[in-house]
Amino acid sequence: MEEQEEATGFENEVRQVVGDEDVLRFMDSTDNYLTLLDSLSSTLRQGWLDLAIARQSMGASRINGALLDHKSHSAATSVQVDQEDVDSMEAQPRFSLRKWALVADGKQCYEEQKLGEDKFPGKTGSLQLRHRGDSQLSEEKTSESGAQLDVDDQIQKERAKLLSMFGTLISPKLRAAQLSFETALETLVEIANMRSAMLSSFDRVRKELDHQKDDMEPVPSGRL
Amino acid sequence: MANRAQIQTNNSALIAMIADEDTIVGLLMAGVGNVDLRRKTNYLIVDSKTTVKQIEDAFKEFSTREDIAIVLISQYVANMIRFLVDSYNKPIPAILEIPSKDHPYDPTQDSVLSRVKYLFSAESVASGRR
Repeated sequence: MEEQEEATGFENEVRQVVGDEDVLRFMDSTDNYLTLLDSLSSTLRQGWLDLAIARQSMGASRINGALLDHKSHSAATSVQVDQEDVDSMEAQPRFSLRKWALVADGKQCYEEQKLGEDKFPGKTGSLQLRHRGDSQLSEEKTSESGAQLDVDDQIQKERAKLLSMFGTLISPKLRAAQLSFETALETLVEIANMRSAMLSSFDRVRKELDHQKDDMEPVPSGRL
Repeated sequence: MANRAQIQTNNSALIAMIADEDTIVGLLMAGVGNVDLRRKTNYLIVDSKTTVKQIEDAFKEFSTREDIAIVLISQYVANMIRFLVDSYNKPIPAILEIPSKDHPYDPTQDSVLSRVKYLFSAESVASGRR
């Protein structure tokens, strides 16, 4: 009897710790979701402002929805979705932005990689120091940086192509607006990830509450 | 091995948009615009002439298309079809309510936050409702 009681107590403790973790995760993701939305609001505001300035200098007839390209074309920027079926019931999709995916194969993930590298800026520097003097490696690096320049060039072309619907001579503010909206897109993908994390942890917390509710319910007298 | 996580990947899904003209133009400049062979776009520009029916149809279309991963909808537009947005609960496509030029984002109206906000109420947690 005592052993059984001990086991139940331990089970309850474990459940409580797991429950607390889920609650913390849920509150963290909610907080991050709101912070990211705040950041999105300011990025979009900057984009709208730049767009308005460009419209002011180029004329309203040169920047409007009527100029949009209605010919068949694929999106240059898309989203990759990895859906992880952790519990089959709680599918938590993970979104990642594929910017300028139209750039030739092999270079497609450049922007994603670049984003990943930016998170660890010290890493590349230390690698360069460690291998200084190694001619083979430096050659590889030169070709790598050459390829990066090539990709950068391609991306600039893609950007210019999208702006070409507004004419050849465009306001620099329009380019600035384009960059602001690109940043907004990155934030939006982060928001989508945070949203799925929030909903997934919310489901877990709700399940936990249901368990607790079941445990607290009195056993009907007929079962005794 | 029964608990092993399965990962399904969709390499290039689209981002759909239902928003005001400036937001759509800006996001199209960022490269998310897609027009298929039947001239179907992945966006709807909402202006004073757009009817609620058109918005409803666009939302239904975008939220059921398999090639769309995220649907962006201006919050003031979402308010026009709130019943549809609130009843949507699938993980993909993810519906994100975004601010628009004339209407700032209001967290109290966000469908996702209103779905989860009852956990912040001490009474509901204590009584273990739902």
